[in-house]
Amino acid sequence: MIVGQQKPFDEIWEMVKGFKKVLVYGCNTCVAICHAGGGKEAEILTSLLRMKAAQEGVDLQVDHAAIERHCEPEFFEPLDEKVRTYDLVLSTACGVGVNFLADRLGGSMPVYPGINTTFYGGVPEAGFFVELCGGCGNCVLHLTGGICPIVRCSKSLMNGPCGGTNNGKCEVSNETDCAWFLIVERMKKLGTLEKLYEVQPPRDWSTGTHGGPRRVSLEHIRAYEEQEEKNAATEGRR
Amino acid sequence: MVDGAVTEQTGVSTIEKPREIPEGWEPNVLAFACHYCAFAAADLAGVMRLSYPPNVKIIRLPCTGKLDHIHILRAFERGVDGVFVAG
Repeated sequence: MIVGQQKPFDEIWEMVKGFKKVLVYGCNTCVAICHAGGGKEAEILTSLLRMKAAQEGVDLQVDHAAIERHCEPEFFEPLDEKVRTYDLVLSTACGVGVNFLADRLGGSMPVYPGINTTFYGGVPEAGFFVELCGGCGNCVLHLTGGICPIVRCSKSLMNGPCGGTNNGKCEVSNETDCAWFLIVERMKKLGTLEKLYEVQPPRDWSTGTHGGPRRVSLEHIRAYEEQEEKNAATEGRR
Repeated sequence: MVDGAVTEQTGVSTIEKPREIPEGWEPNVLAFACHYCAFAAADLAGVMRLSYPPNVKIIRLPCTGKLDHIHILRAFERGVDGVFVAG
């Protein structure tokens, strides 16, 4: 899931204080799980903004709403009309959601971020989130015992560990496990340690964020959807 | 605490502005009480003809587990000075 953290309240206040009518728009998927931007958090932030406005003597209407996902158009449709009655949308969705809604509104009104999108992570225990995938576009987990060296190694080494490994910990922080220590231990257990003798060549980072915006297009799905639309149009004409 | 200042421990800013407290001012306090214990105690106090200040208003909850962040925030938004949760 995508993990985010709410921006500091003062930063949010600076963003919204010049507007008259603000909608705090939550997303009930990933950012709700990490207690940053779901419907509940949007409601709490709305209340805080109203109190701040009252304290500062600023005339500001703040309301909240939430939908299940901010990354697909269907979920927005029921609230589209309502959203357009505001001067500003303060989105507490991840960066994907902010971009998606801003594109959808096409410059008719601003969409500002209420949270900082942090990483793709897991939730090993309630209230604790760890980065586990870098979305590099070229997965190597089959070579590393299911432990990602791209994000779990501080240096993203492919043929680690480095000289900074220290009793299973990383030299960057004592609280961080050395990913390559974990990889070696895991592969010992799996009985596949010999795989590590194969030296990995320098990576081609163009599949990651260094190669420009990425797209995935499933032609068979798109063709099917297109055909469905055509069929519906033909039936409508009959 | 100065408005806009950030507390060292939490990094959360203070929303409330410091103000002069007028003489004789009494805070309005809202109490959220659990039906099965704190509210029953308040009820018993009533039966015993014990009195408490009129600036405390009680809301009975089926359980204080029902209380949500937003109930407390709404209470402050609407002008109460303190919230008391008993259960």
